[in-house]
Amino acid sequence: MSPLVYYLFTLAFFVFAYCILGWGLNLQFGHGGILNFAYIGFVAIGAYVTGALSLGKPSGGQSYIFGFSLPFPVGLILGGLAACVFALLVSVLTFRRLRTDYLAMVLISLSLVLYDFINNFVPLFGGADGLTNVPEPFADALGLDTNTFVPFFAGVSLLVALLMWWVMSRITNSPFGRTLRASRDDDEATAALGKNVFKFRLISMLIGSFYAGVGGGLIVEFAGAFNTSAWLPGETFLIFAAVIVGGVGNNKGMILGALIVPVLFTQLPKFIPDIPGHPGLILNIAAMAIGVLLMLVLWFRPQGVIPEKKRLSKLPPLSERHRSTGAISAQLTTEETL
Amino acid sequence: MSELFLAIGFGLVVASVLALSAVGLSLQFGITNYINFAFGDFMAIGAYTSWTLNTGPLHVNIWVAMLIGGLLVGVMAVLLNRFLLAPFARRFQKLFYILIVTFGLSLVLLNLVSSIWGDEVQRYNISNQAPQHIGPFLFTVDQLVVIGIAIVAMLAIHFMLTRTRIGKSMRAMSDNSTLAMTSGINTGFITTLTWFLSGLLAGIGGTVLGITQASITPGSGETFLFVIFAAVIVGGVGSIYGAMVGAVIVGLATEVAALFIDPSYKLDIAFAILILALLFRPSGLFSRPGKA
Amino acid sequence: MTAPDLGGAPTAISVDSALSCVDIHKSFGGAKAVNGATFSVPKGSITALIGPNGAGKTTVVNILSGSLSSDSGRVMMGDTDITALPSYQRARLGLIRTFQLSRELGGLTVFENLMVAAKVQPGESLMNVYLRPGLVRQAEKESRERAASILEQYGLYDLRDNWARELSGGQKRLLEISRAVMAEPSLLLLDEPMAGVNPALIDRIGGHIHELKAAGVTVLMVEHNLGVVEKICDHVIVLAEGRTLATGLMSELRENTDVVRAYLGGVLDGRVDR
Ligand SMILES: Nc1ncnc2c1ncn2[C@@H]1O[C@H](COP(=O)(O)OP(=O)(O)OP(=O)(O)O)[C@@H](O)[C@H]1O
Ligand SMILES: [Mg+2]
Repeated sequence: MSPLVYYLFTLAFFVFAYCILGWGLNLQFGHGGILNFAYIGFVAIGAYVTGALSLGKPSGGQSYIFGFSLPFPVGLILGGLAACVFALLVSVLTFRRLRTDYLAMVLISLSLVLYDFINNFVPLFGGADGLTNVPEPFADALGLDTNTFVPFFAGVSLLVALLMWWVMSRITNSPFGRTLRASRDDDEATAALGKNVFKFRLISMLIGSFYAGVGGGLIVEFAGAFNTSAWLPGETFLIFAAVIVGGVGNNKGMILGALIVPVLFTQLPKFIPDIPGHPGLILNIAAMAIGVLLMLVLWFRPQGVIPEKKRLSKLPPLSERHRSTGAISAQLTTEETL
Repeated sequence: MSELFLAIGFGLVVASVLALSAVGLSLQFGITNYINFAFGDFMAIGAYTSWTLNTGPLHVNIWVAMLIGGLLVGVMAVLLNRFLLAPFARRFQKLFYILIVTFGLSLVLLNLVSSIWGDEVQRYNISNQAPQHIGPFLFTVDQLVVIGIAIVAMLAIHFMLTRTRIGKSMRAMSDNSTLAMTSGINTGFITTLTWFLSGLLAGIGGTVLGITQASITPGSGETFLFVIFAAVIVGGVGSIYGAMVGAVIVGLATEVAALFIDPSYKLDIAFAILILALLFRPSGLFSRPGKA
Repeated sequence: MTAPDLGGAPTAISVDSALSCVDIHKSFGGAKAVNGATFSVPKGSITALIGPNGAGKTTVVNILSGSLSSDSGRVMMGDTDITALPSYQRARLGLIRTFQLSRELGGLTVFENLMVAAKVQPGESLMNVYLRPGLVRQAEKESRERAASILEQYGLYDLRDNWARELSGGQKRLLEISRAVMAEPSLLLLDEPMAGVNPALIDRIGGHIHELKAAGVTVLMVEHNLGVVEKICDHVIVLAEGRTLATGLMSELRENTDVVRAYLGGVLDGRVDR
């Protein structure tokens, strides 16, 4: 396979993975209004747990927990669930008490501590070295080599992404999603309508974290390795940027967001050769560009590049409505009173 | 026993660094009512500016370099507020817009720092000092200076807030900005001044963090951010005196805890304290009406 | 309750009250916003809660609805003590409120604003969304019909697919009230429903409040305009400095020189043409 095609499949994989990550964050942030600045922490938990479950017993100086050699997609699902459990702990501790910005403060602190802890505590997930040689799903069974695995797994990820898109669109189009968006717009007014806002936020946090975990799991299975350099706290911002660029509360726009932000700005620059004497400068510039891009989008198109689509009532015009019900409404001509 | 005193001594040093930064963060929060997630990167810019002055051809004395770094960050904070943050805060009612902007700003500044100064660990040019016994404690001269700077800064802020007209206006604005605006306080000027002070303290905090940790990296301010948040939340968000008390509690607790656990996890203790504070006193020790 | 009860002493709670509170206290920092308010709202009445600016009316409404917790005192709905219930549980019992400043759900359409308020929503449980889509669809269909006719009644039908944030001030008022109606209240707390709207709309909202009363809903409304109070309310509660100053019929309060001197005087002179 030509390097270009190989490379395109790699990019395609990242688009699918980041779509899943973006949908999860979009549920939490776009629909639920939760500023989860620790999102990448949940991605990492999914990645580590999936990786450690798929790997065999540690050997040759490696150290990590689990090591059960679980097959695809069991490790992936458990990774998602692990992120979910972690989200449950965090939410129960913080959701009832905190307004948006304090919650964001606690969450960002959480992701920094988690980072610090996983980096230092080697027996858990290998410390700073992380996990390596995570088996490539189906590679042995189907006799795939490095060249064929990439397109194959990109395809698998596409299927997973399609499934998760279907599940997510059912959620966001349901009355559940509607009430969640109501609580995003005004939690007090929503509570005054009889909605247990805490419950709605909690559920959106849990499902969003599951998406984070699964996205992380796919990344570790694709890349075969995962360590703390893959989830610097700034990565959370990338996903936020993807969600905002793609359109807050908009699942289809996410595809564009995933394409522009993580792929165009971070995967692509990895393949641009370093400027001699300035290692990493390209990546720094790309990161700054993302920050600036996001601010510009927020300023000029605060609803995102593709704004949230109106969910129309599909009710007939007033005149038709009365033809069908046979009632006559002479009493209400309203325009002049408003 | 002597180990405990050593830990308390170093805890006071950490508390001093924390107090400078936590008060800087709180001052600005009180006036603008949103958290600046780029504060850790303000600290990094201060730290690296003073590093360039201190180790570059100019060989500026570290304390002078610290002050210049602080002033520079203060000016930068004023400009960032004027041209970026204030316009966003004015335009969007929803809190999360401005929070995302400061979060994004932190990404930009972090990468700016690492593209200017690189990612290698740097050190200040300060002579190795033998620690001195002071009562049961053991301090280097630099550590004593850091504690001294924190005490002087805290006293200065206390006097400013209680004795000067500007300080009183600041408190009035922090309590009720609409009322303050209608009662003839020049809120624009106070806001600018507050950002300057916040940046100044961030810059100084960044340098003393680099001095006490004996290393500077682009991310060290950002990593320290959660310790600052812990101090601020324990003390009560937006309360200046709360931030001071929170700094002492968190500073001492992290260092004393290092006696009992692996020191590489000692900063994680700050997070444990933050969670405990949320569970038992969510509004902080010095809670303020309307800010909790 | 017929005789005006003066002096703000805690009154016995009448048996036929829909909502009552006893000795409510609330302070913000040092400032006392509510200082022993005690009153009851007769079942089926339209009761006005009046008082000068800063008297604590909104704070009382917040405490009654559960949006705010009081420092002390009890809130009763009929003969159930609801003091400890969070606001969403009170709302499920039929205690629905509106806000002094309209709180439209701006990122939803007008129609969705009403749909959110529907009481029976199996589709709010994801279990039902996946496993019992038929049930969800049926409930949605019924809510749609109800929402459509309420929108029509309140003159918002043509605006149904607009973002709620794009409405005018008066339209937002109507949306807020119609959304509350959608939630099937037995008891409605309206915080200044007519503030800042034009006279024609005031009449219209007054008409809607009467329709609600006719449908058996008890209404407690905060209102500054005594002309309006006199026209549509059958019962009045006067709040001053966080205390119940008097309760009774408007005509009785007007004859009470203490009340007039203490509070009504200024307002009556200023606001009502006699
Ligand atoms: N969240 C709050 N924090 C601090 N003080 C408050 C708060 N809410 C209300 N107050 C104060 O409590 C007092 C009563 O306020 P409240 O809004 O209940 O009055 P009101 O009778 O509704 O007035 P208005 O007619 O202006 O609506 C006022 O002095 C107000 O400043
Ligand atoms: Mg009011």
